[in-house]
Order: sequence, then C-alpha cells, then structure tokens
Amino acid sequence: MKKLAEVLRDWEAVIGLEVHTELTTLETKMFCNCRLSHDDEPNTNVCPVCLGMPGALPVPNEKAIESIVMAGLATNCEIMRHSMFYRKHYFYPDMAKNFQTTQGPVAFCMHGHLDLEVSGAGAKERPDDTVEKDADGGYVAPIRILRIHMEEDAAKMVHVGGEEGRITAATESLIDYNRCGTPLIELVTEPDLRTPEEARLFMEKLRQTFLTLGISDCSLESGSMRCDGNISLRRRGTTEFGTKTEMKNINSFKSLHDALEYEICRQAEVLEEGGIVYQETRHWEPSRRRTVVMRVKETADDYRLFPDPDLAPFDLTDEFIDRCRARIPELPDAKRDRYMSDFGLKRADAAQLAGDPAVAAFFEETLSVAGEKDVETVAKVMVNLVPSYDALTPAQVASLSALLAEDAITFAQAREVLDAVNGTSEDPAAYVDAHGMRQSTDEGALGAIVDEVLARCTDQVQQYRDGNKKVLGFLVGQCMKAAKGSGNPKAFNKMLAERLES
Amino acid sequence: MANFDQLSAREIAAGVANGDFTATEVARAALDAVEARDGEVKAFLQVSADLALAAAEATDKARAAGEKLGPLAGVPVAFKDNMHLVGTRTTCASRMLENYESTFTATCVQRMLDAGATPVGKTNMDEFAFGSSTESSAFHPTANPWDTGRVPGGSSGGSAAAVAAGEVTVSLGSDTGGSIRQPASLCGVVGMKPTYGAVSRYGVVAFGSSLDQVGPFGRSVEDVALAMNALTAGGRDPWDSTSQPVDVDFLAHLNDPIEGRRVGVVPALMEAAGLTEEVRDAVNAAGRALQDQGAELVEVDLPNIASAIAAYYVIAPCEAFSNLARFDGVRYGYQEQGCATLAEQTSLSRAHGFGEEAKRRQMLGAYLLSSGTYDTYYYPAQQVRTLITADYARAYEQCDVILMPAAPRTAFKFGEMSDPTQMYASDLFTISNNIVGNGGVSVPLGLGATSGLPVSAQLQGPAFADATLLTFARAIERSNSADGGSGAPVAPSFAGKGGELA
Repeated sequence: MKKLAEVLRDWEAVIGLEVHTELTTLETKMFCNCRLSHDDEPNTNVCPVCLGMPGALPVPNEKAIESIVMAGLATNCEIMRHSMFYRKHYFYPDMAKNFQTTQGPVAFCMHGHLDLEVSGAGAKERPDDTVEKDADGGYVAPIRILRIHMEEDAAKMVHVGGEEGRITAATESLIDYNRCGTPLIELVTEPDLRTPEEARLFMEKLRQTFLTLGISDCSLESGSMRCDGNISLRRRGTTEFGTKTEMKNINSFKSLHDALEYEICRQAEVLEEGGIVYQETRHWEPSRRRTVVMRVKETADDYRLFPDPDLAPFDLTDEFIDRCRARIPELPDAKRDRYMSDFGLKRADAAQLAGDPAVAAFFEETLSVAGEKDVETVAKVMVNLVPSYDALTPAQVASLSALLAEDAITFAQAREVLDAVNGTSEDPAAYVDAHGMRQSTDEGALGAIVDEVLARCTDQVQQYRDGNKKVLGFLVGQCMKAAKGSGNPKAFNKMLAERLES
Repeated sequence: MANFDQLSAREIAAGVANGDFTATEVARAALDAVEARDGEVKAFLQVSADLALAAAEATDKARAAGEKLGPLAGVPVAFKDNMHLVGTRTTCASRMLENYESTFTATCVQRMLDAGATPVGKTNMDEFAFGSSTESSAFHPTANPWDTGRVPGGSSGGSAAAVAAGEVTVSLGSDTGGSIRQPASLCGVVGMKPTYGAVSRYGVVAFGSSLDQVGPFGRSVEDVALAMNALTAGGRDPWDSTSQPVDVDFLAHLNDPIEGRRVGVVPALMEAAGLTEEVRDAVNAAGRALQDQGAELVEVDLPNIASAIAAYYVIAPCEAFSNLARFDGVRYGYQEQGCATLAEQTSLSRAHGFGEEAKRRQMLGAYLLSSGTYDTYYYPAQQVRTLITADYARAYEQCDVILMPAAPRTAFKFGEMSDPTQMYASDLFTISNNIVGNGGVSVPLGLGATSGLPVSAQLQGPAFADATLLTFARAIERSNSADGGSGAPVAPSFAGKGGELA
C-alpha cells in the first residue's frame, strides 16, 4: 500500500466522528436511581426500570440534562428549548426493553463547532491549499458539530467460547446490566475532518473540554469515551462523497489516527485498482495494524423510531440554560489565552498546561505557592519535568522551581532531585542542602576561581578577545571543574563575560 | 347479618371502624362469595386469599390498637391482572407471562392497600388489554353476570364482572380505548377512566403508554369517588414522570348542585351507525333527568371525532409494538426451549407466547412504524389527535361535561363479534377521550327496554375535571336508580350467593 502522504496528494479523505461519552461523574443512571459503577459485581446495580421489567417506567435524570447542556454550550451548540426522547428498536439482549431511549431529529444540542489548531508534523498530513497555513505550516480547521444527543447505554455482553469475543460461535453469552441505562451523550460531527491528525486532535480537544466540564472521566481505555470513525475518499477537486466505511474498536488516540490512516490507504488502493468500497463496519486490530470487516450494511437498519410516550417533551427554560452556563469552568482555549497574556507563556506551553484540567489545577496551585515572579520557571518545570513523575506535590514543584530560578541547581540536577523526592514529603530545597548540591552564586567566592582560570588560560582569553566568543563555554567548564561542581554555571558565565569585556 | 354484597364501600369501612364487623369477617365473606360465584363468572385469574386475610388482619389489629383506619378499611378489592402486586403473578392473561411473579407493587395497587383495602385477587382481561370482550384471555373467558352466555366487555372484563356479580365491592381496571367504561356499561356498574396523569401507571404493564389510564369500578358513584380519593392521595407519583398531582376531594363534590350548569350533547354521536335504539333512548332519558335537576342541555360539535378510531388504531398498535418488544423470553416469561440461535429463541418464544390479537396488534405497529410508512400513518394520526383535542377544547367552552353513550349496544354473545374491526368499532364512544387524555365515566341507566341487559350513559369532561364528572354521574344515579339512587344492584343471579357476613 502507498503511504498516507502520497495517497492524500491525489485523494481527499472525508472523515466524520461519532463520539459516545458516558456521564461517569453522575451518581445515578439515566432513567432510574441505580448507582453508576464500572467495577461492581455484575448485575448488582439494577432495578425493574433498567432491567426493562414489565410495568416499570423511566424518570429522567435532570443532572444528565444539565451535563449535556453544558457539553453543548462548551462546543458552541445551539441549545434546543424543545426536544424529546425517542425509542429506537432492535432485538438484542443488551437492551432489556428491546428499544433504546435516545433522541429524535431534534437533540438537546444542535449545530456547534470546535476550531482545531493543527501544527507541527501533524499539519503536514494536509497537503491541499484549501486551508490557510501560517509560516510554520500550521493551520486552523473549523469542525462543525451536527448534534449532541442524550441516550442510555446498553448492557455489557461477554461471549464465552468459540471465536473470541463474538456471539456467533459462543457457547454462552453473559450479560451485565450494571452498564444498562448509563447516561450517554453522543456527539456527531459533520464530515469536516480531512486527515487522521485532525481526527485525533478533535477527539483530544473534545476530551479536554469534557474533562474540564467534569461530566465524564473520558477514558478511551475503559470505554467511557468511545469513538467511531466514518471515512470515505474522493478525488481531489471533486465534491461528491464516496462510499464510507465505519471504523469501530478505537480505544486510544493513536488507534484513531492509525486506523484512519490504514483505512485511507486501503480505500485508495481498492479504488485505484478499479475496485469498489463497500459500505461496511470495520474493526480495527491494533496488534496487526489493520481493519477487518465486521458486517456489511446492505440496507439501512429500520429502528422504527418514534417519540417515547412515557417521557414528556422537554421545554428547557432560559433560567435552566443560564444555570448550566454559569457552571461551566474556564475552558482550555480561554485558559491557554490567559496563561499567554497574564504570564507571558509560549502558546505551545500554555496550551499544554491548559489542556488537562488536572494539570492546569496543579500548575495554578504551584503558582500560588511559588508566587508569580517564578512563573516562567514553574511553567518550564511543569512542561518538561513534571509529566515524568506521578507523585509530586505543588509545594515540591514550587520549591524546585525556586531553586532553578535562583540558579541554585541546574536542570540536570533538577531531575535528580525530583527522582529522589517523588512520592515523599521531602522539600527539594532541604534535599539539595542535605546532599550538598546547592550551587554557589556568591561573587566573592566564585570571583577567585574566575580570576584563577583567566590567569591560567591565556590562549583562550586571547581567542575571545580576537572575536571567538564561543570559547567562553570552555572557560565556564574550567571554572566548574575548579569549583568541583558547586559553582553555578550561569554565574560563572556572567562573571567571565564581564571580566573579558572590560 | 347482611350479605357483604349489599354494602357499599363506605358502609364497609364505617362498619369495620365502628366494630360492627371485622375486616377479617368481610374478607372471609368476599372469599366465600368468590368461591360460590366465580365458578360461573370466571372473573378471577387468581384469588389471593392469603394476602386478603393478612391485610384484613392488619386492619383489625390497627383498629384494636386504636389507630385511625383508612377510608377503604376492610373493603374487598380486585385488581386487573396487568397490575403488579407482590405475592401474586401478573399474567396480563397471556401465556407469555403465565408464571410471572410481581417483583414490585404498582403505585395504584399500593395506594388502595394504603387506604385499607383488602386484596381479593387478580381479574381476567383481554390478553395485554387488547380487546373489548375479555375473550382474548389466554386462560378462559369471563361471563357477564347479567347473562352468562354473554361477554362482560373488555378489556377489563374481569374487574367489571367481579363487581357486578358482587364478588368484590370495588375493583381497578385500565382504560386505553374504553377498557373500563365499555365493560362497566355491559356489566351495569360505574366505571371511571380518570384524566391521563391523574393516576400513576407505575407497575401497570403498559399497552399504549400515551393512552393507558387506571381507574376504578364500583356499584355506586360514591364508591368510585372513594377509590379516586385513595388513588390520588399522596400527590403525583415520582415513579411515573407523566403523572400529575390531583388535589381534590372527590367525595366532597358528589352532591354539588348541577342547576344552571351545562351538559353538552353531540347530535352526530346520537345518530351514529351501530347505536341501538334502547341505548339512545336511555341516554336521552338521562339527559332529561339532568335537565330536571336544573342543568341545561346544549348541542356541541366534535367535527373530527369520526377519525378517532382510525387515529387510535395507528397510535395504540405502535405503542403496543414498542411496549411489548421486551417480551423476548430472555430474562423472564415464556421461553421456547431447544433453540439453536438467539434469533430463533426470540421469534419462537414470541410466536408461541402471544395470542392472535396480541400478535395482530404488534405486527400492525411494527408495520406502521417502519420507515416510509411512519410518515403516512403515525404522523397524521398525531395530527388528528391535535385536531380532536382542539374540538373538545372548543366544546368545553360551551359546556361543563358531555353526555353520550358508553357503548353502542348491550352485551353481546360469546363469539358473536368475530371480525376484529367490528370489535374495534364498539369503542366508538370511548376512544376519543383516550386520544385526548380527558376523563370519562360510565353510569348505569338500568336495563335496556329491548334486551333487558344493562345500559349506561357516559359523561366526558375536560382534563382534570374528574370530580365534576362524578358530580354529574351522581346526579344521573340519583334520578335513575329504582331504590332511591344508592347505586346499581348486584346481578340478580349472583346476589346473595355466598358472602354472608358471619
């Protein structure tokens, strides 16, 4: 198969995503009072409602409606004042009632958009000139969101025996109804994505947004956030859509990117050999790095959708929507902009810190300890060092940042210090002192060393004065050696330069 | 001492409270009457003697302890077998649920028990409430106590017959298209379908969720008012999101004067095809009786009512198809043994678990909801619903209640109506009220001049004017009964058979 870059020169990929997110931070299910759980004993959080027993009736969880309205507001959707639940019918034991309660043509949230900033290597995936690229090759891709609707999750089925994980040859199929009725929001994009990287970035941005809203733990791994990708190809310059395939079993950002990349290349090969792309559902196999056919859709499924007569239509009031709006915390983009304007951080650093609400909270707590004067150092530490550790406290990071800011240790030493204090309550400053790592910046003590080195290295001094400024590094090294590592290289640098220039 | 079948609900509750007799004595009398009468009537699918005696004993103990007794203390009550009562099976008169044990108690049943009622048993019905004669019960037909060669009407035929035969004092039925009012008419008892939302549907196996409503049968308007008080006590049911609070004392308005109030008559309905002369004459006589008490008769028009049956037979089967989808034999209910695949098990369980009419309605619903057909039928049916709702709203600007027949004719013989559409047409006068959601009550007018069988009038009212309906119903009762207006008699062949208060 051809490589992606080559394929995308001739073909345009048209990608749309369907993203299911379980509202895991709620306490109870969508239509009953059963507790939400991921790892309780199977079939312990069930009741007549979520088991679909005769005579049971659904009562909507108002908190779930708040969550979806917040999701809609955060993704620039129009919040529909009037919408309702529908029943979607299919016979399968994972849905106890044999219909799923979902929404119809009008969802709670309609017609939103997210703007993706694509930069670096990822931006190179898009060769066309339909987007305006900046000097570094980066661009902004506006991605329209068709809708976000509310629905209930199905039960989890485990097929035992036969072909692994498939019902076809299973000897037994086990059903865990704990998941049945979990509040689920489904976001559907317009087919506006053009590269696997854009799809990956969209999912990442959506995850950051939902995490910030606090409506879900958004775990692709555990399945609380699930993504299906629809993809078709068309010749560059044409506007008609090709036949699409649907990609399932995508449980990481990398899988999403790689599955789409594979599928684009596969479809291109089929089409270039004069073949036909069939409308089908394909399963991504990460270990073998390929997609395989799950089932062919010859006719559209008839789900017999109609308005759920057990649930009155919703008429959301302005007060309700305002209340939801007021509960939305600062979103990643706004936070990034604030970090740039308030703290003068670089865009990439600010974006990285603002993206994950846990990281941003850590950063801001660290700042509150460290004070804003060291913000640049704190940001540097947060971006470059902290991600490698799992058990640091904001106080430790603040202390370490202060050491770096006053040149008491080098960046290399900082790693050594963090290795030692991670997971303990030890203060990095105390550790540095206890281990004699603190570097002197005392001009009196260091001055003697500088003078001794200048006196000894007359050749290098001459070279410097002749214009070879690079030789300064050598002189700093000599000073460090003479100080046996306890002198601060920046201080030496400064003092050497002063003396040589005078 | 007297036979319990000569006592009203109020008299029984008062007698128990005063110590004239015990609840246990009443319960034994009722069980004795069932024993003596039901071999012929076959109103019951189960007799819950243990539950009845336990409830009666609890009532007697409460009295002995000096506690205040409920308004239905010791009153023998029967429940249609689509209502859950823990300790009984809830079969819906279907093989599908032949052995289904209630897993929780329906709100309507619980409220009757909370008022002190004694649960005598579960009554026969058309399978899943599909029918107007109780002939589609999978287990056995029920006889009309006034002529055991005839049907009691349906679908709540067992509940109507049990009251008419004096086996219980009060019973509950459910009315989706007339299933309380029509059998009440055929059995000569009072039967009320309250406004949609007035009584909780939680724990009542759904037929048409937007149409179903639970209501009481009694031999007098006062008994029905007592039951309505019990059913609405405690406000709206948090387990049924379509339920509404009803804050009115139904007993308090029974004898409100009707002088100067207006009773609507729809001339077109009084000329409807299929309406027998004896029924028309009796209803006209009821109108004159209301005039005699000072009410004014006014002609009103319901121009779209002719479309009600058509709209109903679109909406009801669609909802039935959806509600009955859960009966797949996987978790409970009839399960076909020895099937090789899930699909085979599901289809054969449904093919053999459901009777003909249940299958007919579900097939019809599945067809009507399928894509391409939905727009042709379901959507226009809902538009018709809006039109008829507007018709009624206009009519009620001119009158307080509307008087019309409850059923076009008196009880028919078993097997007489073999064409399903002919059977559907017998709901001519009742169906429009379910379409709109308003309340209606069937009031006995004595025996028909030609047939010698019970004939009834129906009163319909605006939404949540159910207490007003009972005011007018009581006015008819007051004028019509030969015994001074205390209510309808027990069917003569059964009165006094067993049931002596020992």
